[in-house]
Amino acid sequence: MADLRAPALGAAAGAVVALPLSLALTDRHFADASTALALSIVAGTLAASALAIQPLLARGRRIARHQLLGAVVLGLVLVHVGALFAESSSDAWFALSPDGPTRARMALIATLALFAVVALGALRTRLPLAPGTWRLLHGYLAVVVIALGIGHAVLTDGALDDAGTPVLLGLGVIGLLGVPAAHVVRTRRARQRRPSSP
Amino acid sequence: MARVLQGSPIVAEVRRSWLLGLLLALLTAGIVVALVDSEVSGTGAENVGESGPERPAVTPEPGPDRAADAERVRRRCKATQSNPGGTNNYIPDAPPRDSLGSGFVITGRVRSADGCRPLDGVRVQVWLATETGGEPDNRASVRTGSDGRYRIETDPTVPQFGEPNIHVGYDDDEYGEVFIRRVVDLDDERAVVDLTLARDG
Repeated sequence: MADLRAPALGAAAGAVVALPLSLALTDRHFADASTALALSIVAGTLAASALAIQPLLARGRRIARHQLLGAVVLGLVLVHVGALFAESSSDAWFALSPDGPTRARMALIATLALFAVVALGALRTRLPLAPGTWRLLHGYLAVVVIALGIGHAVLTDGALDDAGTPVLLGLGVIGLLGVPAAHVVRTRRARQRRPSSP
Repeated sequence: MARVLQGSPIVAEVRRSWLLGLLLALLTAGIVVALVDSEVSGTGAENVGESGPERPAVTPEPGPDRAADAERVRRRCKATQSNPGGTNNYIPDAPPRDSLGSGFVITGRVRSADGCRPLDGVRVQVWLATETGGEPDNRASVRTGSDGRYRIETDPTVPQFGEPNIHVGYDDDEYGEVFIRRVVDLDDERAVVDLTLARDG
């Protein structure tokens, strides 16, 4: 019998991307949005979906897809923020200031943690860190990015209100559970590969 | 669970390096403090939204009681302070308009800090994002009536950077300038923004 796990996982990942995106694209706030705001909504929604999937891509030995999606998330967040500056630079600077609302502060911290987690991934072999230290820092920062990034989206009024809220919370739960799950799977596989001691 | 994580480099690292654990605990505490320290809608951005029938303005009529009139003159009301974000998307000299649409009302009373009396004929500028355009497209100058009240109807609000914002400003010469940013909920029908103006100096 053919291994159906890969197609099933692909379908699940497709649903994780398609469901929030379809909600956002059909929301009345999206219809009213300017081009810059629409771009920001799409980029932010795709980034939220990617955050849910990203930890699970690190469960195996081959992490090329995990690395690629990490770069994609970074790109989406930069597009999201850049489009908000194009929409209104004064509102964007205000959001980043110490007087900005809680949801913006969550986004700012999540973005800084995203920069750090991507840098940690890109410089993995060059940093003088023990594997355990590196994984602890990488996992910790991933949790910060997911929790505050999704929290920011939940607190933001707009295209993912109403049905969007439980969907976003679901993405957050998948992402946050994915971090320890990926670690457990990697640890188990590493143990299985290790030759048993005499 | 212990068996599952047997051989985990993270678990081994946490056991080995208390310093790293302390660093992450402090980082977590810093993040929590940064979030708790923030205001939900931004500094000073109170929610001024209302729904339901508008409450009629109540203005104390001047009576024959001279002592009460003298007391009113001596009173001093606290001037409204600008709050951060108040000038976001401000374009000076909004055109005079009677309406910016229908479905939502921005209203309030303008009074003088000195004597707390209603101010007649004061120009107030309002701007907000609505279903038909962004903040630069929906701006108007309105004047107060003899009771110090201003009122303008607009199209329903939409979120601007994650929440519906109302901007009200005063920057004519007679009083010190005030620019405030307030928020409402999406289903509110009205924003009530009162201003108390003080002379410069």
